[in-house]
Amino acid sequence: MNAPDKNPSQLAGHTAHPTTESAVASAAAPELIGLVTHEDVDRARDRWEVARARVKGRTKTFGGFRLLWLLVGPGILVFLGENDAPSMLSYSADGSRYGVGFFIPFVVLTFIMGFIVQEMTVRLGAVTHRGHAELIFDRFGKFWGFFSMGDLIFGNFLTLVTEFIGVRAGLGFFGVRPAIAVGGALVIVVAAITTGRYWTWERITLSLAIFNGLFIPAAILARPDWHAVGHAMLTWMPFPGGNRYEILLLILATIGATVTPWMLFFQQSAVVDKGMQPRDINAGRFDTLLGALLASAFAIAAILATVPLFHHGINAADFQAAQFAEALEPLIGHTGAALFALGIFEAGIVAAIAISTSSAYAFGEVMQTGHSLNRPLREAWPFYLTLFGSACAAAALVLIPRFPLEFVVLTVNVIAVLAMPPALAFLLLLVNDPEVMGEHVNGFWANVAGVTVTILLIIAGLGFGLATVFPKWLGG
Amino acid sequence: MDPHFADVPENPGALASQDVSVDVKSEQLSLRDPRAVLSLLEADQVVAAKRRTHFGRKNLSTGTKALLWGLRIYVVAMLVIVFISVYQAVHAAR
Repeated sequence: MNAPDKNPSQLAGHTAHPTTESAVASAAAPELIGLVTHEDVDRARDRWEVARARVKGRTKTFGGFRLLWLLVGPGILVFLGENDAPSMLSYSADGSRYGVGFFIPFVVLTFIMGFIVQEMTVRLGAVTHRGHAELIFDRFGKFWGFFSMGDLIFGNFLTLVTEFIGVRAGLGFFGVRPAIAVGGALVIVVAAITTGRYWTWERITLSLAIFNGLFIPAAILARPDWHAVGHAMLTWMPFPGGNRYEILLLILATIGATVTPWMLFFQQSAVVDKGMQPRDINAGRFDTLLGALLASAFAIAAILATVPLFHHGINAADFQAAQFAEALEPLIGHTGAALFALGIFEAGIVAAIAISTSSAYAFGEVMQTGHSLNRPLREAWPFYLTLFGSACAAAALVLIPRFPLEFVVLTVNVIAVLAMPPALAFLLLLVNDPEVMGEHVNGFWANVAGVTVTILLIIAGLGFGLATVFPKWLGG
Repeated sequence: MDPHFADVPENPGALASQDVSVDVKSEQLSLRDPRAVLSLLEADQVVAAKRRTHFGRKNLSTGTKALLWGLRIYVVAMLVIVFISVYQAVHAAR
């Protein structure tokens, strides 16, 4: 019991296949008895709680809530994690430059796209019990696997940098010095991962993530015109006018604020680490839907909070996070501006935890070393080192004087959109693979939705590329 | 199967005759017995089993390879465009 991993010779070389067979009932059970790890014990404990809740849920009124409480987590975390500092900055740019209009329903559309994609990762994780990186390497080989990992690690690192920019800027509004803000954020990241327990980590991060809702009171203090919001939701109007290249860039950044490669890798790995099984898929869908709904509400709140800048003709074209809060202060009051700044800080912290964990999961899966938050530090130190090291490196960059921070912030969401189509291609190939998914293979409409999202992202990316190379086409 | 028990083994193997079921109505859980741990997990969830079994390599059709290469070229070309445009934008702003 609790022994470190050994290599069971008789299991070597077996081909995996989708199964819901209990481990104790499997042919390999006699071998596995001596190889049970700390990670297995923690996961079994979580499954026991789920099994109890499932039984009690059948007999008690509202018993199902306990089951949902136990099974939600990865979906909410991935969407609130993606409502990160650059994303909230993109939404703020939408609101401050174009007011209430096209971008409100457009944000809802991007979250629908996000739900379609993330639901597939729930099924992949629950059925295969393997992370996204591991499956890509298994099924497509190292050549395509390393391309995919390259996109992920590069995008994740740039995004991590922007999270610490958000942390620095958010606390900067309150006069906190950059080194203290960034150092404090690192302490929170470390505190979350040193619990040695996925469940505890998930609940700590969820508790932090719910503060993404700070944008809602900030929006209410901005006194939005609800009639205009309703009109925009129904008609998608008014459509933004002015420089078409800038509009296209904002559209791309807004998509990149919701649909990104790290989300695929993170949610699938978190579903696996949580120990979810095929019978939990519906709860996983609910978790993902709840995450998408909460995140879209908070994203719209960020847009509405910055609309007063639009009405007062304040040019927010080159605003960074803290500048939004400072510019909002005379318009929505100190409380509203402070809530906005705190929201940016929270967005940075939660995303820094989620994205560094996403990188560490993928690294562990590819290197075939321990990659679970249920593992103690001594058993999975490369996993924790990757997690902490990537966060430290990103934090350090933010503190370098004259580092081109605006360059990183401008590119990060656009790069996320551009890297997404290949990631979606791998995802769609995997969820349509009966050898991997068994009976949970994608249905017709899931494929229609998945392919539509992929085509839309390619069109958006190509539009941006053409507009950059041939600016006169857009009157630029 | 008794619904009070989680993942009660039904295997015809060596363990079938042994009582390894876990009472999910109990307030206490003891996982000292590895068989109790295994009874709560699916076969592919156990770390040792997962590390030594892999989904085999998929044979990619020509169309799939063309799709993946096309998307790879798309990403590289677009990244070059992004970096040039943002670099120019940042320098123009200064």
